[in-house]
Parts: sequence; structure tokens; C-alpha cells
Amino acid sequence: MKRLLFLLIGAALAASAFAQDKKPAKKAAAQAEKAADKAPQQLAAASPAIPTENFHAQCIGCHGIPGYKTAFPEVYHVPKIAGQQPGYIIAALKAYKSGERSHPSMRGIAASLNEDQMKALAEYYGAPAK
Amino acid sequence: MSRVFFILLGTALALNVHARGNAEKGKQKAAQVCAACHGPDGNKPSAPDQPVLAGQYYDYLARALGDYKNGRRNNPIMKGFAGQLTKQDIEDLAAWFSSQTTSALHDQR
Repeated sequence: MKRLLFLLIGAALAASAFAQDKKPAKKAAAQAEKAADKAPQQLAAASPAIPTENFHAQCIGCHGIPGYKTAFPEVYHVPKIAGQQPGYIIAALKAYKSGERSHPSMRGIAASLNEDQMKALAEYYGAPAK
Repeated sequence: MSRVFFILLGTALALNVHARGNAEKGKQKAAQVCAACHGPDGNKPSAPDQPVLAGQYYDYLARALGDYKNGRRNNPIMKGFAGQLTKQDIEDLAAWFSSQTTSALHDQR
């Protein structure tokens, strides 16, 4: 019992070490937000050059890892989006783009997407499991 | 001193990580509040722009409900429903929906 408690505390400490690492994330997020505010048109104009079949590459880093957690601003599981309703994915991306939803990374990414690109991502992730 | 702090912090985190909600109570609450739009197990949204909840992560669901309740997420319908939930209700509902295994949601990609 005592051993279990120590194991738990150890695990929690390891987790807290991650949670502590907030400063760089904050800085990066601030930069990302700044960039997103400044250059949405620029990014959107550049985006059609990205091949459609790899367009979701920008999502995989967080949403493609089972059990992956956010590091900023709070620690919780990044939601599963594969199999989600396409209409909801579009609504979520729009809400991030407009600033109505406030996660910094998602705000930065959504701000770079135009409506067609949101639709393409929603259809890709909304498809049933293979 | 800092050791005590870390132990406290560690314990708090350990407690946080575990799902604290009661899925059975969540099921009952879901039938009253959520089922009409999301389906009894969170797998049958009634409109295309409503999310599948079944199989979603516990902590994400709890956070989303909390965000609707406190206005960080601003959806008039969800604000109405989440606003009437207690913290315990939110945890119970998150436990219920996250434990539904026959979900459209999956981990791939």
C-alpha cells in the first residue's frame, strides 16, 4: 500500500515535471498567435501549394498520437477527432479562427485555414475508421 | 520545504488524472439532459454540427462542459444545459460518455 502510494507520487512528479515546462510553450504560443494575427491571408494564399493528401500533416503532431496531452495552457487530453462529425469539426475550426474558442495552438492553425481547407480536413477526419 | 511542495503537487496531480465521476449517475443525467441531441450514449448527434461524445477523453469532456458553463466557450444551447450542471454532474457525465466503447471516434491518424 505504502509502495503503491510512493509509485503514484513518483508518477505524478514525472507528470508535473512536464506541466512545469510552461514557459517555453507560453513564448512559442505567443509567437504563434502573433504570427497568426499578422499573416492569415499570406498563409492562406500559400496553402494551396500543399498537396491535399498531406494536408492533415499539421494535425497529426497532436491529434494523431493516442493519449497525447496538451502542455499549455492546461494539461488535458487532446480530443479525438477521427470519426467526429465533419460539421462539428468545421464549426470548431471556425470558432478557433474567430477567437471564440481560445486554445493558442488551435487558434494559430485555424487562422491559417480557409473554408475549403477546413472542409477538406473535416471530410478527411470525419471518414469512418479503415 | 520544496520537497513537501512537490509531494503535495504530485498528490494533487495524481488525484486529478483519475476519472472521479460516477458513470452510472452520468448515464441517468445524460438521459435527462444530453440524450435528446447527442443520443443516450453520446453516439447519435441529431444535427451535423453537433459532436460525437462517446469514447471521447474524460478530461476533455469535463473541460468542455466547464468551459460552456463558465462562458469560455460560447454556444447558447450548450451554455443553457451546462449552466445547470454541478461540478459533480460534469464529472459523472464525462465518466459516462468517455466509457462508451462503441464509438464512432477512434485513435487512428
